[in-house]
Amino acid sequence: MMTRQDDTLTVRLASRIAFLPVAVRCIETAAGVFGLGRDEALKLSLATEEIFACLCHEVCRGEPLEIECQNKLYYARVQFRFSVSALNLGGLNITSTMADDPETAQEHMGLMIAARSVDRLNIIVGKNNQICLTIEKEKAYPQAPQIALPAPDPVGDMAPTSPDLEGLKQFAIRVAQTRPVPFRPPFFNYPGKVADMAAGGDHQAIVVETPKGDIAGGILMTFRTDRIVQIYGPYVFTPSAEAEMAKMLLDACISSIARSRAIGLVSLNGVPVSLSQQFEPLGALSYSPENGEMLRQSCFYRLLHEDPGSVVWTHSDLKGYLEQEYRRLVLARDIKMVQDLGETRSGVSIFSAEVNGEMSAVTLRPLWPGADFAANVERHARFLREERMRNIFFELDLGIPWHAALVPGLLTSRFRPEIILPFAGQADLVVFQYYAPQS
Amino acid sequence: MRPNLDSLVPAYVREFEPYIPSKPDPELKKLYGCKTLYRLNNNENPLGPPPGAQEAIRLFPPPAGAVYPSGDCYYLRHEIASFHGIHPDQVLVGNGANEVITFVIKAFCEKGDNIVTADRTFAVYEWVATFSGIEARLIPLKAGRFDDAGMLRRIDENTKIIFVCNPNNPTGTYWSKETLTAFLDAVNGKQIVVIDEAYFEFVEAEDYPDGAAFLKTYPNLVIFRTFSKMYGIAGLRIGYLMGDLNVVDMTRRTCVVYSVNNLAQEAALAALRDNTGHIRRTRELVRQSRAFLREELARMGLPVIAGEGNYLVVKLPGSDTLAYRKLMREGIMIRPMTSFRYPNHIRITLAQMEAMEAFIAALKKILND
Repeated sequence: MMTRQDDTLTVRLASRIAFLPVAVRCIETAAGVFGLGRDEALKLSLATEEIFACLCHEVCRGEPLEIECQNKLYYARVQFRFSVSALNLGGLNITSTMADDPETAQEHMGLMIAARSVDRLNIIVGKNNQICLTIEKEKAYPQAPQIALPAPDPVGDMAPTSPDLEGLKQFAIRVAQTRPVPFRPPFFNYPGKVADMAAGGDHQAIVVETPKGDIAGGILMTFRTDRIVQIYGPYVFTPSAEAEMAKMLLDACISSIARSRAIGLVSLNGVPVSLSQQFEPLGALSYSPENGEMLRQSCFYRLLHEDPGSVVWTHSDLKGYLEQEYRRLVLARDIKMVQDLGETRSGVSIFSAEVNGEMSAVTLRPLWPGADFAANVERHARFLREERMRNIFFELDLGIPWHAALVPGLLTSRFRPEIILPFAGQADLVVFQYYAPQS
Repeated sequence: MRPNLDSLVPAYVREFEPYIPSKPDPELKKLYGCKTLYRLNNNENPLGPPPGAQEAIRLFPPPAGAVYPSGDCYYLRHEIASFHGIHPDQVLVGNGANEVITFVIKAFCEKGDNIVTADRTFAVYEWVATFSGIEARLIPLKAGRFDDAGMLRRIDENTKIIFVCNPNNPTGTYWSKETLTAFLDAVNGKQIVVIDEAYFEFVEAEDYPDGAAFLKTYPNLVIFRTFSKMYGIAGLRIGYLMGDLNVVDMTRRTCVVYSVNNLAQEAALAALRDNTGHIRRTRELVRQSRAFLREELARMGLPVIAGEGNYLVVKLPGSDTLAYRKLMREGIMIRPMTSFRYPNHIRITLAQMEAMEAFIAALKKILND
């Protein structure tokens, strides 16, 4: 069934292996229609094949399954929606591919093979064990031109505005040509992709244009969660007007979301020095590139409204860190402790793994509580290291009491709390980073 | 079975972010660890209601709580009409001025229509329009004031209402009699022009217009007033609109009767009849506080936006929302202005000197941290 003028293809079938070719062919065909190149379409269909087989064998054998392929302009998204018994949820752990016997492991590598073939993989558990497993594959775009654009001449009146297509591409080219990593997220290397990101509605850009039509600066923003807007920039290409223009762009950005559902603004790629007073420094995350030194990316935050305060739940091992950070960030929080009083926990815990292939990064999030928290954390860390993932993060939602029980296991498995993202979950999120032992 | 809210709820409601009011004072004090709290965030009158209204509140008989109020605020409408020299049917009373904003938008706007107002002004015009599925056209302020020419340019055949906050909250700027007359002449009766005079009683400038005096000449004019600010009964929620008989007759159709409680009606009636000099006393307090803050803030090198009204806006070197949290720890509650599209600005209610001094001391402390 095609809906919304070719934006979405939905297939409903039973998760029986006999339907595998149907699912795979549908996704491959839709990916082609949505504009993915042959290689990307094949990788998406390979991931679909692995996931479908995994669901048929391990997770929801014979149960109804809905597969939806969506055209998001710069990428295609495939969602697998199904219900599952809590007993079978374990199959959704990315580590469920690890068998005790290495000989048999290859037969059960479904989710990890899928993750390797696509740009992002994520799982969300809804009410009544409704699962949505999502994979996304981006289109291939040409790189930004290497020939340097002449510097814009910032003479005359300039005001923030929404760029047209050419303005947007010029903005991306200028960022790619003038900003080093980590201040430049990789997508800026592909101006056509930035244009599609804005055209798809996920991202919005504001630029400042000179009277001659050159882009003198810009900022890109997107809703990272329902309530948090992530910004990239502001980037200013005229050093003489850097402070003034950066402030103009930030003010325009804030004005555009001041009365929206956004409660906070976050920058995970740094902000210009001239704007540092406008933000609250959250801390830094480390990224290991394929080659070269580890990079520290400073993260900044700004609340857009009065802090309504909230209750956060944690374990005693994290209390000191939270108290210190909340004092530093001047956030009103009622810290409540979760204690293990010997109550019985049943089943295996489930973590979702959001895999970002380009960054060699994985973000783990707890989906389901279980008695094996510590072992599951350790298993994920080991498995992802063996998969040569260079950047491993774990997000805990301080608004969900049972997440607190994961803290000891995380600390034991060499995860360290690095930043708090206010209001990024049901309450605040703590982002832990994994530090591998020095070899 | 759960209702499918995606199909039941219109997109313009689903996508609207509900306003989250601040927690009650005891909760805030607990959260921020402060023993006292000066409320300088809502432009309330620190003197409270006029003595006559205070007496009416004290004398309100508890058994009267069991009796429905006058559904259309009969006596109060007559008192307001007599106060302004208009007919009682030219008055509609609501549960705060916020409710009368809703009356007007519901009465005049339908799908495809738009309202015109400013980007940096009282948010409720924009909110009510947006969650009613009506486009809110926001015209940037020009030099801190409503841009009359800019607003006229954005009017089209689908524009039904123009909202002007006079004096403007938060800038304190106002349209003079001359500007208002020229604007109404230019609109020429094609749209409803709402002049929100929530802070009318605070204005001392001579060329500031009394909107009610224009009603005879301009039947498309609607005036809002409130008892929440100068009259100090914000907690009872009562405000009103005035307009031409036919305009009010149409607006009344969207008005929910019985929404204004007995106590609010009694207190508002007494407030209007009070002749103890409440307005004079309040103005003196506001004048003194404004002068004090201006001087202190100038000494601190902080730019100030101060005009009419019982409030003042200060530009800070950094984030206003961070300043809010730091000031809360010192027992001072101000209004961060990001939501008014004034990032890095805070608005302070001009209140008693003790509160102003506490605010300045706290501001110095947090800026020096």
